[in-house]
Amino acid sequence: MDVPVWQRINEEIHSEIENPNFVLVCVAEDTGGEAVAGPIFDAANPTYVQVIDEDHIISSTFDFVNVPSAVWIDEESRIVRIDEGTYSQIHEFDWGEEKIVFGNDVYAAALKDWVKKGAASTHVQSSATVAAHVRNHSFEQLKADAAFRLGNFFRLHGYSDKAEKYWQMARALNPDSVNFIRQHLTLTEEGSAGETFWALAASYERDGKDLYRPLDIVV
Amino acid sequence: MATVVMAYPELRHPFERTDIHPNGAATVLYQGRAVTLREARTDGHLLIRPNDLAKVNGFELKPEGACHADTCIPIRDDMFEQDDGGRWFNLTAFAEHMQQAYVADEDSSVWSFAEMPSKRDSMLIDALAPDFEVKDRQGRVVSKNSLKGKKAMIVTWASW
Repeated sequence: MDVPVWQRINEEIHSEIENPNFVLVCVAEDTGGEAVAGPIFDAANPTYVQVIDEDHIISSTFDFVNVPSAVWIDEESRIVRIDEGTYSQIHEFDWGEEKIVFGNDVYAAALKDWVKKGAASTHVQSSATVAAHVRNHSFEQLKADAAFRLGNFFRLHGYSDKAEKYWQMARALNPDSVNFIRQHLTLTEEGSAGETFWALAASYERDGKDLYRPLDIVV
Repeated sequence: MATVVMAYPELRHPFERTDIHPNGAATVLYQGRAVTLREARTDGHLLIRPNDLAKVNGFELKPEGACHADTCIPIRDDMFEQDDGGRWFNLTAFAEHMQQAYVADEDSSVWSFAEMPSKRDSMLIDALAPDFEVKDRQGRVVSKNSLKGKKAMIVTWASW
């Protein structure tokens, strides 16, 4: 949904801002690999950097637990924003008789402001704020990353029983990873947005948990 | 009946069963790479040839310790073992020393290592991006170093 929108935003940044010195990296967290994510990228005719991250390396590196999530990194490799539910725009679609609306129209504007003004942008966060926004990644959660990759390795080699075993282990070790849960659900008959996901979303709402860190920009 | 959306049951078991490491003794997974080792010893721990350490995690064994970039980690003598076949380095003992999580499937001799917590310290102390490396669809490396000198936004999405 966001893949083509990011292309438009990337084009706007490079046409509207003089010498933007900016690179957009879109990363598909998808064990389905090129077969699943490739056609979606191709349909957007992207000029940004495209990565298909079958082992969820990027989410592990920056402690993301869901998609979409993003990090901004400046010229000196300093993180200036991290881990927000970063939809590119407001999306609307019909779900039966319901209309589902999600996303926001402020994040892309904030991104452009940073690309244009750099450190002077009001959207740049201090190192202390960024560090406070980095999610805890405990030893058990790191072990979950290792288990997830092990499961994916076995799936690629046709050992479905072992794949299941280690993906279940990853989910048990890091139950907060919506990425692991929904990626695993893609391999079930109900899919990643079926009954199980909606039950999970309802439990988050009931428990006051967020599927993403709330966007720290005034909407 | 539940609505079926974003399901890829055809990808559930899409792959033919293939040998894990037909010409090797063990496979090590780390940072998105799968390295097959021709020689290894496994008995609850994974022992590798000292010269293979750089291949699996980038550390090189030097007199001052296991070194990566400008950091050297002192190595205990008991991380080495000698037998009739030569010298071995205990990779899992090194991981434990580094507080690095791992999961092993010993039946298949596949060992999966998580990132070392120490590599993440920079993010928590002064918000410096940790080292990472992935490849884009054209096979080019995308890493902390490749992005240096530019502003970058890395954003994730998924087909699911």
